[in-house]
Formats: sequence, structure tokens, C-alpha cells
Amino acid sequence: MRYVKLSSENFSEFFESLKEIGKIYGPVKHNSTYTFEHVDNVKDLALKYRRTILPPKKFFVKPRDQLFRLKQNTWEEVKDVEKFVLFGVHSCDIHGLKILDRVYLQDPIDPYYKARRDNAFIVGISCMPDEYCFCKSLGTDFAMDGFDLFLHELPDGWLVRVGSIKGHEIVWENQELFDEVTDEDLKNFKEFEEKRAKAFKREINREGLADILDLAFNSPVWKKYSEKCLGCGNCTLVCPTCRCYEVCDNWTRAYEAVRERRYDSCFMPTHGLVAGGHNFRPTRLDRFRHRYYCKSYFDPSAGFNCVGCGRCDEFCPARIEHVKVLEEIREGLI
Amino acid sequence: MNPYESYEAKIIEIRELTSREKLFTLRFTDRELESTFTFKPGQFVIVDLRGYGEFPISLCSPPTRKPIQLCIRRVGRLTRLIHKFDEGDSIGIRGPYGNGFPLEKMEGSNLILVAGGLGMAPLRSVLWYAIDTGKFERIYLFYGTKSYEDILFRDEIIYLLKHGEKLNCHVKLAYEVETPSCIYLEKGFSEKVCKGVVTDLFRGEEFNVENSYALICGPPVMYKFVIKELLDRGLSPGRIYMTLERRMKCGIGKCGHCVVGTSVSMKYICKDGPVFTYWDALSTRGLI
Repeated sequence: MRYVKLSSENFSEFFESLKEIGKIYGPVKHNSTYTFEHVDNVKDLALKYRRTILPPKKFFVKPRDQLFRLKQNTWEEVKDVEKFVLFGVHSCDIHGLKILDRVYLQDPIDPYYKARRDNAFIVGISCMPDEYCFCKSLGTDFAMDGFDLFLHELPDGWLVRVGSIKGHEIVWENQELFDEVTDEDLKNFKEFEEKRAKAFKREINREGLADILDLAFNSPVWKKYSEKCLGCGNCTLVCPTCRCYEVCDNWTRAYEAVRERRYDSCFMPTHGLVAGGHNFRPTRLDRFRHRYYCKSYFDPSAGFNCVGCGRCDEFCPARIEHVKVLEEIREGLI
Repeated sequence: MNPYESYEAKIIEIRELTSREKLFTLRFTDRELESTFTFKPGQFVIVDLRGYGEFPISLCSPPTRKPIQLCIRRVGRLTRLIHKFDEGDSIGIRGPYGNGFPLEKMEGSNLILVAGGLGMAPLRSVLWYAIDTGKFERIYLFYGTKSYEDILFRDEIIYLLKHGEKLNCHVKLAYEVETPSCIYLEKGFSEKVCKGVVTDLFRGEEFNVENSYALICGPPVMYKFVIKELLDRGLSPGRIYMTLERRMKCGIGKCGHCVVGTSVSMKYICKDGPVFTYWDALSTRGLI
């Protein structure tokens, strides 16, 4: 890894320099919530944000995504060629993208996702946890890769970790904006990280979790919470690793149609429905439990499918807390 | 290459099998693809009705014969639509997908094919592959159907009831609803046709469990009873294969609709299956 320093006074110039890559999308504040959207003026950025409603997955797996256009009875592929910058991505969301990579970049590669991944320039940013974050206990509170540049807050600027060749090239082309990292900066960096580590209020007990959940298939806790759950699917929409999609063909004109995919949610009763009316997950309990199994699936080489961003808790209208459900399942087992 | 893109195929023949199932014979427009396209019995393709949507369907012809055939039941929006298609019309096909039955591993063994209703479609691919290649010790086909009118590939089944033994193939049929045609069939093949369910066909049959593989396909309710019958006879859970159905949208493990299992074992029916052993079902919750 390469480390450089970006001082506060050079920040806006650095931001402007990124425009050469393409449009910049960053966190913007709307009342009490944040969203990733196009930012032209550095002043519009809300860098001290806690979490956006939709994670950065929306740039790679779009809520509505055209795949093909039908013309003269043949499909034409819809291509995305726009290069863009994702500015201010938190470490948990970078880990979320890495989980999506495992699915979409696995053979056969999804060409739509791949093109957007190649076109994206990712600038990570350090953050302070709030009452919903539990990324530290999942090991996703610090990103070692998956970004081009990562900005760590210092009292007088930013310690920048350079994570890729693309990132290096930007630093190289704008050398005048960057300084060498001093001992003072390292001290501040360390202090920030220590303060951050202490700020986590919520944690998940990972020990044997996957097995415990499997053993607790018939736990009454699933029933208790699935009765509370509204089945709205909010948690799956805002989750940085949920990726189920539905595909639809729609006619746009008499002889022209589009094939589009859009977010689907395993909370919807139609998710497990097959032709003929048989449903493989007919009850809310089945669907509720399935999501928890999916998020807590443990891949020995990569970990869990959950990054602890806390979105499912914050945006759950029934106030169901992910960690609490898992803890109760664990307690109920013995 | 975009894996979601389908290849144009022409419907060269449509045969009405029953009142709700039709057999579509297809030929790829691209000649090279037509000659190179191959698959394993048990694999499926995604049919693309351009402008209307896609649906998964198992290949029901054996890889030893060309052109490919699909047996499609009229059961949903898209299958209703394709039933209105005519010979000469074009559709899109992508695939083949899934793992298929590991038939090379089974060579030299007995194959016990257990089909219920539409489950006959993917097993027909195995049946004719096994007969055509002649690489198997003996082939048993136990087929449970609703009534005479619902027998899929009726002419082939009757042919095998008559001449199957010559091809080393022992076929038995169970029907649920008694009709004059069924009674007539039962009179002709009293040893092989009976009223009842598919598990009734196991009565009086002996097979060497050490050298047999069971391949099952049918409605979800059938698996439990058939598997019990096979386990009672001492067949190992690793020798019982079954093909499963789920809502496979993409066919390549991306869309997430066919995911089953729990935190310790998650499987995509479309790429880890649709063929699983009973051992897989024991170690993956929600598989059957």
C-alpha cells in the first residue's frame, strides 16, 4: 500500500481533479437521511454521513436495469460506458461490493456488472460508528482492498491509502496536492482508529454462528419475529449484499420491447413461486428465516454475507434488530 | 459474450402429447451451433419468448439424438403463450444449464428411473440415452401417472411395455384414475400395469442395491414416499438422485430465486443442481 497526505486546503482541488475521470457521486444530506447522488460542488458533499439509504450497490446492480432492447425481433445489448467516481464510500460498503463481486464476477461473468465495476473509481472514507453499526465484529470495519483511494480523517486533512494503479495515477498526475505522511499524521491516524474502535456499541457474536443457526431451524424465535415483521422487504432493498432480481419484458412500442431486471426481495410471497402455483417458501416465517440464513451463510474463504452496516435495523419499520434476533436464537438453543 | 443472450431456434415440429402438454422439436438457426450443441441428461435450457419473458425447461430428448426436444406443460403465462406457437415460428434458447445426472459414473449399473407425471420429461432423456448407449446393466422405469390420457410419450411407453425387455429395459406403469383405456392396457400387460401410485410398482421387484442408482423426478410430494421405499430396500443416500424444480430466472446463479439451504450450506438449484443426491437433501435444509 502507498500512503500520502492530502491537506484540508487542497481538498476541493483534489475533488475537482476527479472530475476528469467522470461524474462524481457522493453522499448528500436530505433532512435526516443521506443518499449517494451526483455532486458537482464539493460543498454539497456530506462527508460526515452515517449511512446512505441505498448502498453503493445501486450503481452496479441498478434498481431497474435494462439488459436488452428488442428491435426487428433481435435483441440488442444495452451497454453502460459511462465512467464515474464513487466518492466517500464507507469500509462496510466496500466489503459489500466485494461480496457482490463474488457472485457477479464468478463464471459466467455478468457483463453489465463487470462493465460498471471497471468504469468505477472508488474513493473510500473513514467514519465513526453510530448505534446501529456492528461492522467491527464482522471484520468489515477496515477495507484492505476494493478501493482506488481511501481517505482517513486527520485534524488537518486526510491520510490517503492508495489501493490501485488507477488510484496511483490520480495521485501521480496531481502530485502538487499531496505531501509525504509525517510521524504526526501517523499518530493522529492511530488515535482516530483507536477512538473509533471504542465507539462501537453493538456487536455480533460470530463464534459458531452458522452452525447454531442451522441447528435452530425450528426455534420459536423465528416465529416470534416473523409475526412482528411486516414483510415489506425494506431490509433487502437497503442491504449492500442483497442482490435478488426479477426479469421482465416490457413492450415500449408496437414492435419494440425491453428486457429489464429490477430488485426483487425474498420477503415477497412471489419469490419462491413456480408456475402451477406451488410455492417453496409459502409463509412469512419461511421467508423471514431464509433471509437470516442467507445473510449468515458462512463461506470459509470469505466470511459472512453480512457486513454489519446497520441499514436493515435503521430502516426496518417494525424495529426488528438483526443482531438481537441472532442473539435470541443463540440463547434459545440451549 | 453475454451469457443472458439467447440463440434463435426454429420450431420444426409440435406434437400434442396430452391435453396440456406439447412436445416441441427445435433446430438452431445457426448451423454450427446446431451441430455442436450438446448436453447431459438432466440439464435444462432457458426458453426466451422475445418480448414476453423467459422460462426454464428441462431437455427431454437424449443427447444421443438430434434435434432437441422440450416437453412443455401449459401451466403459466409463458407456457400458455408458447402453446399458441406454430411450426416454423422462432424462439430463443440459452443453455444448457445445471449439472445433469452423472451418468458416466453410473455406467455398468442398474438404473432405476422413478417418474411421476411431468417428471417423465427429464427422465425420458436418461431413458433413451441409456438405451441408445447400452452402457448400463439393466434399466427400470417406474412411471406413475394420473390416467391413460395423461401418459406422456404414450406410444413410446407402450412400445417399451411390449418390447422393452429386448432393450434391457423393464417398464412399469401405475395409474390413479380408472378409465376403460387403462383397464384395457392393464389386461394387455397384467404384470406391468396396475392401478395405484408409483411406489406400488416396486412390489415384487428385486435389485442389487450395491450396483443400482435411483433417479427420481416428479411432484414434490412424491419424493418422500419414493425415497423411503428405496432406503427401506437398502439403497445408499448417495445413490439416490433426484432433479428438483425452483423458480430459476437466470440459470447461472445470479438472480437468487432458486437459493436453498441454511447458514452452513447454501445451494443454487440452477448451477449446483437441479440434480442432487438424497445425501445432499439430508445435509441441505429445504432442498426437498
